[in-house]
Amino acid sequence: MREGDLPVKIAGEEMVLLPERAMYWSSEKALLIADPHWGKDATFRASGIPVPSGTADEAIARVDCLVRRTGAREVIFLGDLLHAREGRSPVVFASLTQWRSSNMDIRLLLIRGNHDRRAGDPPSDLGVNCEDAPYRRGPFILDHHPRASAEGYVLAGHVHPGVRIYGRGRQSERLPCFFIGENVGILPAFGDFTGLADISSSDNDEIYAIADATVIRIASATRI
Amino acid sequence: MSRTTAGEEWFASRGWKPFSFQREVWNAYLKGESGLIHAATGTGKTFAAWWAPLLEYLAETSNDSEPRLAGKVVSARAQRKASVPLRVLWITPLRALAGDTAGALLQPVTELDLPWSIETRTGDTSATDRSRQSRKLPSALITTPESLSLFLSRSDASSQFTDLRLVVVDEWHELMGTKRGVQTQLALARLRAICPNLRTWGLSATIGNLEEARKSLLGRTQSKGKSRIVRGVEPKNIIVDSLIPPKIERFPWAGHLGTQMVPQVVEAIEEGETSIVFTNTRSQTEIWYQAILEHRPDWAGTIALHHGSLDRKTREWVEEGLRSAQLRCVVATSSLDLGVDFSPVDRVLQIGSPKGIARLTQRAGRSGHRPGVASRVTCVPTHTLELIEVAAARDGLNARSIESRYPVSRPLDVLAQHIVTIAVGEGFVPSELLREVRDTDAYADLPDDEWEWVLGFVSNGGHALKAYPEYSKVVAGESGRWKVEDKAIAYRHRMSIGTIVSDAHIAVQYQRGARIGSVEESFIARLTQGDRFVFGGVPLEFIRVRDMVAWVRRAPNVNGAIPRWMGSRLPLSGELAAALRERLGEAGRGVYHDPEMKAIQPILEVQKKWSHIPGPEDFLIEKVKSREGHHLFFFPFEGRLVHEGLAALFAYRISRIHPITFSMSSNDYGFELLSPDEALLGEAIERGLLDPSGLIDDIPASLNATEMARRQFREIARVAGLVFPGFPRAGKTARQLQASSGLFFDVFQRYDAGNMLLGQAHREVLERQLERTRLGLTLQRIAKAKVVITTPKRTPPLAFPLLVDRTRERVSSENLTDRIRRMQQTLERAAGS
Repeated sequence: MREGDLPVKIAGEEMVLLPERAMYWSSEKALLIADPHWGKDATFRASGIPVPSGTADEAIARVDCLVRRTGAREVIFLGDLLHAREGRSPVVFASLTQWRSSNMDIRLLLIRGNHDRRAGDPPSDLGVNCEDAPYRRGPFILDHHPRASAEGYVLAGHVHPGVRIYGRGRQSERLPCFFIGENVGILPAFGDFTGLADISSSDNDEIYAIADATVIRIASATRI
Repeated sequence: MSRTTAGEEWFASRGWKPFSFQREVWNAYLKGESGLIHAATGTGKTFAAWWAPLLEYLAETSNDSEPRLAGKVVSARAQRKASVPLRVLWITPLRALAGDTAGALLQPVTELDLPWSIETRTGDTSATDRSRQSRKLPSALITTPESLSLFLSRSDASSQFTDLRLVVVDEWHELMGTKRGVQTQLALARLRAICPNLRTWGLSATIGNLEEARKSLLGRTQSKGKSRIVRGVEPKNIIVDSLIPPKIERFPWAGHLGTQMVPQVVEAIEEGETSIVFTNTRSQTEIWYQAILEHRPDWAGTIALHHGSLDRKTREWVEEGLRSAQLRCVVATSSLDLGVDFSPVDRVLQIGSPKGIARLTQRAGRSGHRPGVASRVTCVPTHTLELIEVAAARDGLNARSIESRYPVSRPLDVLAQHIVTIAVGEGFVPSELLREVRDTDAYADLPDDEWEWVLGFVSNGGHALKAYPEYSKVVAGESGRWKVEDKAIAYRHRMSIGTIVSDAHIAVQYQRGARIGSVEESFIARLTQGDRFVFGGVPLEFIRVRDMVAWVRRAPNVNGAIPRWMGSRLPLSGELAAALRERLGEAGRGVYHDPEMKAIQPILEVQKKWSHIPGPEDFLIEKVKSREGHHLFFFPFEGRLVHEGLAALFAYRISRIHPITFSMSSNDYGFELLSPDEALLGEAIERGLLDPSGLIDDIPASLNATEMARRQFREIARVAGLVFPGFPRAGKTARQLQASSGLFFDVFQRYDAGNMLLGQAHREVLERQLERTRLGLTLQRIAKAKVVITTPKRTPPLAFPLLVDRTRERVSSENLTDRIRRMQQTLERAAGS
């Protein structure tokens, strides 16, 4: 843990909310990441829309950095690892393969999301174990879509949650966030080229916003 | 025999006589000249331009032994086949005008039995007509800038235009200050390259900078060659008066009159035979239509409304009703500003401030087409302070200080779109296309590096060293011609040609029946089944959205929301602002001589008692403390855009002295900086808050702290082909290609900071959003002004509209984390207490 991280308890488990838009599951030594959308930029480029490359490399570098600083032994992707079939670019896979070759001991698990179904599983030499959602792990139901389950607490992605915060002097700010409800927790989208969707919440839900390098709990009064 | 004789005869046969300006145009055209004609609406500009090519044709064919089709009965089809190949392109900014223009052009052609076919081609043209036109174009084609660009994206574009003699650009003043104007300039340059002898004639209202209008229309070569500005008929006398609210209350301060003035408006409509009630927004049109109808339910069927979001058939029906005097009154937006005359109209009302002198003149010109009758416009204030603007507008009109329209200088997004358009069509050789592009006024000074960058951007993503992987849009072929080969890319490009940016629109249609029009998707998104709203003057109940259509049924009553359309709110023009400051100066000296100024006197006296009435030599700053925090109100009276820039600049300069966060609001009179803690105003002024120097560095620095450039990027991303408007047959693939312009902006900033479209966003914010030139002049004026700082206990009348404005910008010198923490703490404290 370092300054800016925020430890929370979810379903009795010690979890750490990380400002790099990921969650760390201490007892399992697992890093949870939602919606990287790898290859989204390549999908655009392949369709004649100029988007600079770099977002994918940045995301891989961020995973690498997170694994080192948390000591994670496993990375779990909560869906939408790849954006689209058109974005299965050799460039993206080359970077992933390179990272994988020096991190062979890290387990990789993908809970398939809606994009993965069209984009297909990552190449087998990356050694990603791919599973359909929902997928049980300890007290959690790992899913892509944030739908409640009778089986346990759900951790999911898909919505790219953002929160709008209001302050005095009529200030407002829109930030990516973690949504931790009573039965479902939603992670922010990991990818840079993904965008935000405002999420509605009630007083019983906890919202943790990411302001630069700090995760901050947002009181319900500030969300309105 | 003079070459213009045929025209003279035709005019004479109708009991008319050509104006001398019309003869001047005909002769100039026949000598090969191009030019610009300016005159008031309805004074014969159309025939001045149209008879020129007709006379040319008559002169060419007068020696022909071949008889024309006169007197023969032939089928429409045969006539079309035999018609003269495309000679005249007539470009109109509003597709709604195309039909009327066609009617006017057809008149002499029919009567002289010329083998000319005249057709329109706009977004409204049916598929049948399109395919017919793709086989053979008519002799004269009336079209919009977008449809013209679409023609240029055809692979046989050149062969279509070989016999083209004349391009007429109607209402050039409307186009010249916009990116559509630049799009038109580029298309004209292409046409001139295809047919070197092409003549260009523009039709324009009178504006402040006609010479610039001529140059931007004709391009470099043609404007240096033989060309002229032809002045048409001077506008008639215009009477500006206003409906004064019966009782001007000093409270509530907001001064919002809403639709309180309806009884007087109804009375005014009763006085006339046929009236147009102009509003400034489409929502206002809906609101006033309802209000008038509620006041006079017996007028149902004889009053109508007209705005750009209504279905074309509805609009045409309304226009016909105006022409035939079947309607008593039409409530309209600027959608009725342009175009043909509605002769029966004898009364024009303007709801809210006209914002500019030219606009008021244009609208007034809609009335009084009978001989001996002056044009008259009656202004209806929606806010008591607007009465000052009416008095000021009258001063401006009397002094003939008409606003200028400033052309857009080398926007790279429009250039990128144009290059792809040509690449989708016939393709291009870069050096040739560059020569053509530089012949336009907009790109005359295009530097090589910008050209190279745009060329790279549409082909490999950037400069040669930093190509984007997997990306290729325009490809250099073996022949040296650059083309778009990918059919899907070409299709998407054709569907998104244009520079008009709006939110995705969704059609509104009866469940079993007619289309009513379109509203912004964001409005429909807020509705759930059973919700009611008013649109096109009709109460509707929302059923559901399916296939990009909002299905509705009629609702029994009118209680419901009114859609709001995003539109550019016009700022007060510089000319009107100057007249306004003079009027306030008079009021400060206790001089109130017009009915409007007399009516507003009680409010201005409160302003004087509590604070100060700023004259042309003053710069008023008010400091007010409220529960919301510390307010600073500044009053330059320079229009909303300049105020937005000044607000960001002042906020930035103060925040450099001590860490502080401001939220800002602006209107046409001034701006407000609101902060949780008190700003050190005195110290800031001492340290150069109002200093006109340092502007070049401070403005971009203050912009970085705001979201303005990011927001400006919305239009650029759309024009440059990064984001697409929703279009039919888009399907799933398109959904995977959806990203917001803000996201593009962030990604470019982070991963391709050299992207010139980012630079363009900043430049556009400076030049167009903040009117940098006008902003610099304002600061110079303020620097010479006497600074008056008052500390009223309550918010005085001039500041009140700013206080209640809810649309805000932010400037901060605190870091994000600290700011969020503090926002939280204060609210938690408030919640706890």
